[in-house]
Order: sequence, then C-alpha cells, then structure tokens
Amino acid sequence: MKDKHITEILDNTSIPMLSESELNDIRIHALECMSCRGAYEAARLSAVVLKSRVQATIEPSPFFQTRVMAALREQQAVESVPPMLRLWGSAKALVSAMAVTTAALAVVSFMQPSQATPAPDQAASVYSAYSVIMDQDAEEQMSYEQVLSTIYEDDDDAR
Amino acid sequence: MDLDLARQAQDGDESAFAEIVRRYSPRVFSVASRFFRQRTLVEEAAQDVFLKAYTQLGSFEGRGSLEGWLTRIATNTCLNIVRGAKRRPELSVADLTDDEEGWLEQQSAGDGGEPASVETSLVATDLADRVLSVLSPEDQQALLMIDGEEASIKEVAEATGWSESKVKVRAFRARKKVREAMEKLLSYKNKGARADSTAD
Repeated sequence: MKDKHITEILDNTSIPMLSESELNDIRIHALECMSCRGAYEAARLSAVVLKSRVQATIEPSPFFQTRVMAALREQQAVESVPPMLRLWGSAKALVSAMAVTTAALAVVSFMQPSQATPAPDQAASVYSAYSVIMDQDAEEQMSYEQVLSTIYEDDDDAR
Repeated sequence: MDLDLARQAQDGDESAFAEIVRRYSPRVFSVASRFFRQRTLVEEAAQDVFLKAYTQLGSFEGRGSLEGWLTRIATNTCLNIVRGAKRRPELSVADLTDDEEGWLEQQSAGDGGEPASVETSLVATDLADRVLSVLSPEDQQALLMIDGEEASIKEVAEATGWSESKVKVRAFRARKKVREAMEKLLSYKNKGARADSTAD
C-alpha cells in the first residue's frame, strides 16, 4: 500500500465512505508521495463541496400546489377543444390578416386604375403612329369658313 | 395507498392529484434542486414533472413507490431541460472569487470540517458548481446522488433508469474529473499565493 498510488481508491469511493483503516493507509502514503498528497487533498475538498451542493435544496412554496392545479386545469381546457378548432384558434389572426390584405389588394388593383389612369392599350391607341398622323392632318385641315374667308379676302384685295 | 391515490387521480379526482402534489413536492423539489439553483427554475421543472406525471398516471402499476416513480420522472425531466440548455463555460481559475479562494485556503489549512455559516456554505456550493461544470449532466447527477446524498448504486439506477454498471462507470469517471478539476484549482491558488508572497 505504501508504494502503491492511491488515486484509484480515491476515484472508486467517496472519502466519507472509506473505512478508517483505508483512510490511514491513504494518509501514510500521502505523506511520502507528493502527487498523491495533492490528489487526496482535492478529493477531500471535492467531497465537502458536493455535500454543500446537495444541502442547498429549495423547498416548495405554499402556493406551489395551487399553481400546479391551475396549470393542470389550463392544460385540460386546451386538450378538451377539438384539434381543428385549436388550429383555427391559433391561425385565426393570421387568416383574418391575410383576408384583409387580399381584399385591399383587390380594391387597389381593380377599382382605382379605371378612375385615374387609362388602361395601357387605351394609352397605346392614343399615342399610336396612325392617330398621331391623322390628328396632325386634322389640325392642319382648314375649316369651311376659313376657306371662304380666304377666298373672299383674295377677291377684296383684287378689287 | 399510493396506487389508490394514483387511480383516483387518473379517474379525474382533482383532490387526489392535489394530495399527490402536496405529499411529493418536497421530493420533486429536492431532485430539481440538484440540477438548478434558482427558485424559478426549480419550480418550473417541478411543475413540468407533475403535469407529465398526471398524463402518465396510467403507467404507474404500484410495483414500486409513487415517490420512486416521481423521482424517476423528475430526474429525466430535469436531465432533458439541462441537455437543452447551453453548457457552462469551461472551468477557469481566473473566475475564482476572493471568498472562494479564502474558503479553499481555510480548508487546505486543515481548518475544515463542515461549513460553519450560510455564507461559507454558499461559497462551497458555488465551488461545487464550478467543478461540476466539467461534467456532463448525467455524470453530475450520478456523483451528486452517490457522494452527496449517499444514495446506493441501486437507488441511482432506479431513479435514472440506467444499469448499475453504467451508474458505477459514471460515478467513477465523474469523481476522477471533479478531483482533477479541484487539483487544478488548488494548484492555481497555490501558484497565486506564492506569487503574492514573492511580490511582498
């Protein structure tokens, strides 16, 4: 035992669980072996801190039972609703929002353009090459009165 | 008695389930306290345990105790919560507080024994969390139950659902790692103390 390192014993059993004779052997060896002395010291302190850790237990509060029962009733209430209804319950807001958005888009797409801006093909027809040429002709054509006045002006000048 | 209570609760008798909660919440809190130190976390975990237990009441056959059955649900529920959470940062001696260093020094000087006051007890608990952070949640539980609560290998096996040989392996491995982590803390502390005395 004196020449045998003690780390395996320390790792096999917690120090408080060791018998008095085992502890004596360990102490004797630790006096002569520097590395085992450190291991023994660390194992001893580990045992102390682990004991402290398990003693730090939190007690239930007086309201804990009420809290659990309330949570249980809530859970049962949720489970009593049929799955499709539960799905609808969670998706209701999203579906409503989507419906409103779709309606708004429909209004914007179909109502406003007919009032404010001409349809693209109408606009195209207004500015088509044919109409531009024809309109130009119309503007250049003289009216009947203009023709008459021009003729008579010439006659007046001749007199 | 336990089986009757479980059957009544399963049949929808709220007062029977309330009695189960009242009777066994200290045990469930004790298990959850091994995993968490904040009251809110312990309460949340304990509530989860009872809600889960309610849905599984049918699987309790009365062969063991209701307390043992709840302990197993509590251990597995808490392990699942801890597994989902982030791992703690690696052991770092630079994080040692003055109180922790003082406690280690006092204990190393043979001034040890059980922690004397609430404050020193808290320091020791902090140090425990520090060295336990090098372990997996499963190894932590094995070590805390065996070395902390002095539970037998068989009791740990029943509470966790692991085989006895697995519990032994976990405990051995955990004890070794914790001892090495503590040795590391002590060697750093001693180096720090030597550096201080040289500077003086």
